Amino acid sequence: MNETKVGVFLSDCGNQLSQILDFDALVNHVKQVPGVALVVKASEFWRGEGLKTIVDAIKGKKISRVVVAESLPKLSEIRVVKAAEEAGLNPYLVEVIDLKDHCAWPHRDTPSEATEKAKAMLLAAIERAKLLEPIEKLEFPITKSVLVIGGGIAGMQTAEDLADLGIKTYIVEKSPFLGGLATRAGRFFPTDDCAICIQSPASDVKTITHTSRKCVYRSGFTEIPNLNILTNSRVIAVEGATGNYKVTIEKKPRYVNESKCVGCDLCTTVCPVAVPDEYNAKLKKRKAIYMNVPNVHPPVYVIDENVCKFHDCAKCVEICPTKAVELDQKSERITLNVGSIVVATGFQECDPSIVKEYHYDEYPDVITNLELARMIDGFGPTSGEIIKPSNREPARRIVIIQCVGSRDRRWNPWCSSICCMISLKHAMLIKSAHPEADVTICYIDIRTTGREHEYYYERAREMGIKFVKGRPSEIVHDPETDMLIVDVEDEILRRLLELEADLVVLASAMVPAEGTKDLADMLGIELDQDGFFKEYNAKLRPTETKRRGIFLCGGATFPKDAPTTSLHAHSAAMKATKFLSAGKVVKDQKTAVINEEYCGDCEFCPVTCPYGAISLVPKGEEHFVAEVSDLLCEGCGICVGTCPVNAIELRHARPNQMSAQMKALVSVNGTGKPLILAMCCSECGHTAVDSSGMAMMQYPANVRVMKVPCTGILQVHVFLEAFKAGAQGVMVVGCKSDGCHYEVGSQKAQKKVELAKILLNEYGVEPERLMMHNMVFIEGADFAEAAKTMTERLEKLGSLQLTDVS
Amino acid sequence: MVHEKDDETLRAGFSGEIKHRLGGETITLCYQCGTCAASCPVAKVTEKFNPRGVIKLALLGERQEVLSGSAIWLCSSCYNCQERCPQKVEIADVIYALRNIAIMSGHTPNIYSEFASGLMKEGRIVPISKFVEKKRTDYGLPPLKSAGVEAIKKILSTTGFDKIQWKKEGTP
Repeated sequence: MNETKVGVFLSDCGNQLSQILDFDALVNHVKQVPGVALVVKASEFWRGEGLKTIVDAIKGKKISRVVVAESLPKLSEIRVVKAAEEAGLNPYLVEVIDLKDHCAWPHRDTPSEATEKAKAMLLAAIERAKLLEPIEKLEFPITKSVLVIGGGIAGMQTAEDLADLGIKTYIVEKSPFLGGLATRAGRFFPTDDCAICIQSPASDVKTITHTSRKCVYRSGFTEIPNLNILTNSRVIAVEGATGNYKVTIEKKPRYVNESKCVGCDLCTTVCPVAVPDEYNAKLKKRKAIYMNVPNVHPPVYVIDENVCKFHDCAKCVEICPTKAVELDQKSERITLNVGSIVVATGFQECDPSIVKEYHYDEYPDVITNLELARMIDGFGPTSGEIIKPSNREPARRIVIIQCVGSRDRRWNPWCSSICCMISLKHAMLIKSAHPEADVTICYIDIRTTGREHEYYYERAREMGIKFVKGRPSEIVHDPETDMLIVDVEDEILRRLLELEADLVVLASAMVPAEGTKDLADMLGIELDQDGFFKEYNAKLRPTETKRRGIFLCGGATFPKDAPTTSLHAHSAAMKATKFLSAGKVVKDQKTAVINEEYCGDCEFCPVTCPYGAISLVPKGEEHFVAEVSDLLCEGCGICVGTCPVNAIELRHARPNQMSAQMKALVSVNGTGKPLILAMCCSECGHTAVDSSGMAMMQYPANVRVMKVPCTGILQVHVFLEAFKAGAQGVMVVGCKSDGCHYEVGSQKAQKKVELAKILLNEYGVEPERLMMHNMVFIEGADFAEAAKTMTERLEKLGSLQLTDVS
Repeated sequence: MVHEKDDETLRAGFSGEIKHRLGGETITLCYQCGTCAASCPVAKVTEKFNPRGVIKLALLGERQEVLSGSAIWLCSSCYNCQERCPQKVEIADVIYALRNIAIMSGHTPNIYSEFASGLMKEGRIVPISKFVEKKRTDYGLPPLKSAGVEAIKKILSTTGFDKIQWKKEGTP
């Protein structure tokens, strides 16, 4: 093996840094370090001549490791690394440090101390560089097809986008028809336009070169090329990993051949079985063979197997002109191989009988908003007439109650976000059909936060809808008058009211769709505290999950109105396309490696890994060892911090690399102050240090920054080693405990720090020499302050004497 | 997620004082929906008591008005409000906490001072009157036993009850 030759490239940032740092001293210092083969100083190295110097040195085999001290470390990391790779050097053999933001600027008041610190920083980078090892990039093939789970507006829109982009797309819907919750709404706020058109594909628009929207009647969602629709189907098993999932679907029999049925409706005229129609809030009956409404996808009848008499009747079989009814259909298992999965399972209305004082399950004239929507729909069970379900008489005194089972810590603590607008819509639709109607909305807060939503509220007041600020305590039925009495306090009047009503409508909470938990388990993705699917990062990656290639959209993540669902759906389609079109997942091997000699028979790391990257595999007959998936491992090192026998290492942060770095950082002092090692995570912690430097916030130069992948990697003995190496104090700087980029790293580090403090105390070392901090980029001032405080504290404590620690 | 405030911040103000009292812990969860007021049998018969109003005043920091007023003493402890509160505010218990603070701050209604002195002297809140004794004899009930004053005094002294200043000023 060739001798390791380090090239050190010092940028003075266009002479800016030379005014603070003594570059001659730095060059001389670096030249003395064993293993350093080349030292170059220039204005910049991330482009132009500077970059060429590095490339030439690599090509000329003068160096085998690169250390760049640059003032724009982020750009250097990208450009130098790329150039080094092109020149034939493994890109993971490049080490970049920031002499500006981490040294010159925060210590500009003490230039000579800054120079001494820069020496230590360079030495640490060189020592680490010498121990770096080449890391390979792995490629994993991807199946270029996608499964969309859920056939509501989110699923349909995302599936259409994907199919249009040439990706083989499957859409699985558990009910016999597409459309989901939204089609039952009848109309959408704030435009009151027909809800049906959301089902129509935009592809029509493209083909006929018109930009006008197409109604569902003139669209052909089922005709989109590359799109395969599986209704009456459920996902029952998911196997495989990123890019290659094998999904098993159970398709229940429809008993009507989709390719033969012409939707003529003769079958329903002869079917003798009539049952309450759930789709229509049980306000009318449907036959055992039925279609929800005449405008659904697919426009094919289905038989309700729970009520059909099958061969005892078979009247539909006889009358069907195309012989489409097939009573002997069986459920089938379909296996799909897909590279990506989009979860679009939506949400559902909560059964409000949980709020006992509103007697939903007892009084037929207490209904939900969704049931009212069916009533208002001209296409619905009452043809738009507003009635009392108990006796089908017209209802003209209507009270709508907001936040039923929502914003309720006994059931669903969240605000369901769309109910205020739904209730306003319903109140206005009733009022415009029946101006004499008395419509009252009882509310806690009216939330109309969307575009044009406040005008909607304004119009409702104009139309004479009454608003009572107060949440009713009870609904009482008066048997004599057959009236419902709603007890409520009008808080503004401070008066207790008893509102008389023919019909009471509950704006019931919107909750995760049934089966959400099971699906999450199958897919290995997380739910949030409320039981909705949890995205990877709400602000930056709102459609992604922790598992690469599995995406989320629509109401599956939280109740949403149609426009927001639409945005989310298109966004998920774009992300899935981006993922699939690469044809492969490229993943570097900056991952954990197991030392099988030490590893065995413990479950700490597989349980701790936030990415499910570690599994246990048998070793011999009775033992098992951990195995790391390079595809799933994110290289955070939380497993390293957890392993009780030091059987795991990260390829890019081996203990010897960290140790050499640590020793070098405290090898040069020159400040006369107690040396402090600040172990910063590569995410928020490191950026907090960056930002304090950028803003030239001053803190003493005895504070030395050591970057670690995640603070979760730190074990108790690492802190002890730091003290042994000569640090007088240790600061651990990680992300916020609930904002860790590796989810649990900061929390783990916090625990390790607490444990180490106890140990230090045992050794007679003051525990306050070790501190944990949680900071983000914008808290650079906090870092500078903490560094100063720690220095002052250590000065008071005096020098650390370590005699017993070995 | 809101980061946990330090204890000091949470203690600030009147609501902080209530939160740190047994029973008062949940007061800041209140979002003023009025379910309690509409559930309250006392509020139905008098405008002097409205549980939502009491909590609102307390949250606004109107310490004097809450403690010296009559409202907190009108709660009948039926717990209807507490049962129905969608934010799980323990309203009746909050009112007990407020009563405790009121007593400690010298706002004890006369009747409670009498209860307290009765308890300390005779071991009973309600003294045994001649009328009660006669009625018991008429109904053939045995006479009431002594309340074990010494034992009760011991409890009162251990708990610090006997040290409370049962002031009568500010009585509603």
